[in-house]
Amino acid sequence: MNDSVSLLHFAIAIPLLAAFATLWAGKLGRPAVQIVSVTGFALPTLLAIFAWVSYNPEVAGGYDFVTRHNTGLEAVGISLHLGLNGVALPLFVMAAVVGLAAGLYAAQSKAENLSRYLFCLLVMQSGLMGVFASIDVFFFYFFHELALIPTFVMVGVWGGRERSYAAMKMTIYLTLGAMLSLAGLIALYVKSGAESFDLITLKAHLAAAPLSDTVSTYAFGLLLFGFGILVSLWPLHTWAPLGYGAAPSSAAMLHAGVLKKFGLYGLIQIAVPLIPGGVGQWEGWIIWLALGNVVIVGLVTMAQRDLKQMLGYSSVMHMGYAFLGIAAMSVIGVSGAVIMMVAHGLTVALLFMLSTMIHHRTQTFEMEEMGGLSKKAPVLSAFFVCGMMASIALPGPGLANFWGEFGIFVSLWQFKPWVLCVAATGIIISAIYALRAIARVFFGTESEDFQEVQKEHTVIDMTWAERVPALILIIVLFFIGFFPKTISSSLNDALESEPVYATTEAEQGGSH
Amino acid sequence: MRRNGALASGVSVGAAALILATAGHIIFRLENFEFSSNWIQLGPLSLDFGFLVDDLAKLMLFVVAFVGFLVHVFSLGYMKEDPNKARFFGGLSIFMFSMLGLVMANSLVTLFIFWELVGFSSYMLIGFYLDKPSAAAASKKAFIANRVGDFGFLIGIAMAIGLFGTVSLTEMRELVVSGEVVVGTAALGLLLFCGTVGKSGQIPLHVWLPDAMEGPTPVSALIHAATMVAAGVFLLCRTGFLMTADALNVIMWVGVATAIYAGLTAIAQRDIKKILAYSTVSQLGYMVAAFGLGSLVALKDNPGDAASAVVTGGVAAAMFHLTTHAFFKALLFLGSGSIIHACHHEQDIFKMGGLMKKMPVTFACFTLGLAALVGTPYLSGYFSKDAILALAVEENMTVFYLLVFGAFLTTFYMVRLWKIVFLGKANSENAKHAHENGLVMTVPLMLLAALAVLGGYAGIYPEAMAPLVDMGDAIAHGEHHGTVMVHGIGAWIVGLALAWVVYGAGAKEDRFGGPAYAVLQKKFFFDEVYDFYIAKIQQRVALTLHFFEQIALSGLIIRGAAGVAGLIGIGLKSLHVGSLHQYVYWFIAGLAIFWFIAG
Repeated sequence: MNDSVSLLHFAIAIPLLAAFATLWAGKLGRPAVQIVSVTGFALPTLLAIFAWVSYNPEVAGGYDFVTRHNTGLEAVGISLHLGLNGVALPLFVMAAVVGLAAGLYAAQSKAENLSRYLFCLLVMQSGLMGVFASIDVFFFYFFHELALIPTFVMVGVWGGRERSYAAMKMTIYLTLGAMLSLAGLIALYVKSGAESFDLITLKAHLAAAPLSDTVSTYAFGLLLFGFGILVSLWPLHTWAPLGYGAAPSSAAMLHAGVLKKFGLYGLIQIAVPLIPGGVGQWEGWIIWLALGNVVIVGLVTMAQRDLKQMLGYSSVMHMGYAFLGIAAMSVIGVSGAVIMMVAHGLTVALLFMLSTMIHHRTQTFEMEEMGGLSKKAPVLSAFFVCGMMASIALPGPGLANFWGEFGIFVSLWQFKPWVLCVAATGIIISAIYALRAIARVFFGTESEDFQEVQKEHTVIDMTWAERVPALILIIVLFFIGFFPKTISSSLNDALESEPVYATTEAEQGGSH
Repeated sequence: MRRNGALASGVSVGAAALILATAGHIIFRLENFEFSSNWIQLGPLSLDFGFLVDDLAKLMLFVVAFVGFLVHVFSLGYMKEDPNKARFFGGLSIFMFSMLGLVMANSLVTLFIFWELVGFSSYMLIGFYLDKPSAAAASKKAFIANRVGDFGFLIGIAMAIGLFGTVSLTEMRELVVSGEVVVGTAALGLLLFCGTVGKSGQIPLHVWLPDAMEGPTPVSALIHAATMVAAGVFLLCRTGFLMTADALNVIMWVGVATAIYAGLTAIAQRDIKKILAYSTVSQLGYMVAAFGLGSLVALKDNPGDAASAVVTGGVAAAMFHLTTHAFFKALLFLGSGSIIHACHHEQDIFKMGGLMKKMPVTFACFTLGLAALVGTPYLSGYFSKDAILALAVEENMTVFYLLVFGAFLTTFYMVRLWKIVFLGKANSENAKHAHENGLVMTVPLMLLAALAVLGGYAGIYPEAMAPLVDMGDAIAHGEHHGTVMVHGIGAWIVGLALAWVVYGAGAKEDRFGGPAYAVLQKKFFFDEVYDFYIAKIQQRVALTLHFFEQIALSGLIIRGAAGVAGLIGIGLKSLHVGSLHQYVYWFIAGLAIFWFIAG
């Protein structure tokens, strides 16, 4: 059974082909490398936007662009089954857009062996497109690994300070997380009796014959902590700030922005719908650990002096909200979590990119050694303020982030009001660290260190080559903020058709 | 446009003029209307983007558009030589846009979105002088204090959705009126009130407002006196039907406490803008108290109808005072801006003096604004303050006497300022060389002065805006007119006479000293307490957590399972010896580590 080729195949294959073409173009010189690699990023983006516009599933809330190809592994129930539903679509588009921005920025970087660097990035991009397009759980996992391995290489080879330690630590943590979640997925495969890795088949089997309580406890536990490590659930998050601090900016953009969402996506799309009882059994764990993300990591973020580490911690903090949205198990909470994942992906990618631009001008990530940059680089400061305000969900630049957080907050009130009261302190904490960072880097007077640096380097404002990728991210962020229905309506349909979210909704809705 | 200040200022002022014209059209030509369209659907929750234009919105719209336009014109003169005026006018335009959205918002969520945006534009404009560390600190403080308030506001919105299933103000009101939803808890009202406490500078979050004077003076006039800070009062009026008697009592007392506290503090300040800022805080306290008092009266008189009445006495009195206050306080700030501009950015009143003759137009306008603020009979502030006092007589005599005392304080600190700044002789070189500013700055002053004088007469308002003002006026002239007038004028006379006797014309030094006065100068140590909390507690907790993060998580767990196992072994061994001594040692060791980090 082989369907025709769909745009999803191209979106996955083009970056992969471009990756090898880039290696080959390395012999032809820098411009060739840039053209080939940027094409490899741009085409999937166009395809993703086309998919976004033309998305129209036959069944409301179902999958569109579905294709299935045999891979020779039918015996174990694996086939290349691709498609997008309302949950996957916005993330797929976000992955493409962030990839384009990261690619554009990487293509003009001064990295050694540029063609190999872009090779890694393009392979990663291919994996990312695949993760959100997979219906088959095996391929979902496979594409994640495809994207993960180049990340380690990029951190280890092109990373900054402490790169080998960071790469080692990231590898240990993320491999552990991936292994735990793989064990969970295999448990599902075995225990469901579906003999298939296909998500739709699995879902049908498990709806007919749910797992026993014991099995669901340990299977969900494996998935929760496996995915949890990948999403930097507290206290398993320490790889994240360190890794992002060391990672080259484009790798950090793609990982923090997109790849990290893999775990949350897995929970929303696979773990919770397949094991509906699991969230209830692990509820206390999820809530307390996610609150740890918001409050404890939030406070730790305030203590950071290194700009990039601070961004790393702040992104860990925001993941706590997404976990809480999932724990609420309602359409409002989960759609809030997905919108937040999309908005956060765009925002954090923007901020990592801007932080590297700041580094080029100040030669440091230490915020104490900066100051007064807004005079020399007003446009850069405007972009950074915009990005920071988006990250703290200030309506305007952060309207999309606001919709996400707001949905989560509303669902938390209906779920457990006390959790909301603790979690909402995050809006104060994040304002404190964001404004501190803005003030330290851009306002006030120039520090002595910065004046020293200026003797050797002339500080210029953002160039157009730098502005374009940043603008791409900001425009999409604004667009989603002002027209949230472009992602929320299909998202809603998908979640409403998922019994596990919709029933909880009905029960809670009945209370008033 | 960033590089072309003239163009930017032209566009911005043009936009303000257009806003004024459009607002005029909405107010005078259009009936009350509501427009809404679905913005986002989250599960069963549908959030709309929409406008609700009713009497309340119309009056507020007029205040914002009119004062906004005058401040834009004034800024043309005030910011003429500033190299960054493009950024200034850009910020001002963002503010106008957001404020209009806030005024016309038809749901709590839309309102909250614009609420955050006005906060952001305020942040940008307070920190306008980027290289001044004090400005950067003040803008940060303003934003964070507001976020603390928004924390409650946001939870309140979530709670409202839990109760009503909608955030549309009209739908919520209908549900309350029809009795389908009974708001049985004060929590909802108080959570929403948190937003007001932040935005309108009520105790204990008022600390940001005086510091916000770091921004350019036109910003202080528009945002931090006339419009944005009054948005908190507007929010109360919008959500009045969600309040219970308990909530209203709390709101009333917070307002009264703020009014008195800020009045006392204003007496001891030296910076002309800080005095005006504390005066603003104090008047905002009056408005909040007015809302609480009036709504309590309405609730007592007619519990069934209190929610359905779109305009209660509290709303009318609060909005009446908000309107007159917007006129005279914007006037006072612009006047102080005119003075500061003429004195080359001198803000210390004891370094001014004798400005009456040098700046006659500013002097005349400022005096009229001041007279209106202190409640001189037959000027605007007199009527709007009387309306508040009249409600207090009806509801609570203690509050009445406190508010009369507050009125006395207002007269006292304003006459102090007036006598020191305008009379006598110049006390500094800057003041000596002061001269009157051009028409672009004085004409807005004159227009505002006219409104400060006449704003109390309901008759001058066109019919479309009259309902609230009429009602406010009626309250002021109600059955308690006699009591209120005697006390109000009494406070005015005593304040005026005392200040006149105590302070010398164009004084060089303050009259008082001593510990009690120092408490006033130090603003009752609010800043010190907060600074202590931030520096010694919050920051240390953050650093401690960071320390554990580094040690416990990064260091041990990853450096090897052996390390962890070893550590656990040691830990278990020593924790389970069962000897009290050991526990004490561990306790002391823990304390020592803690002290090492925190100390």
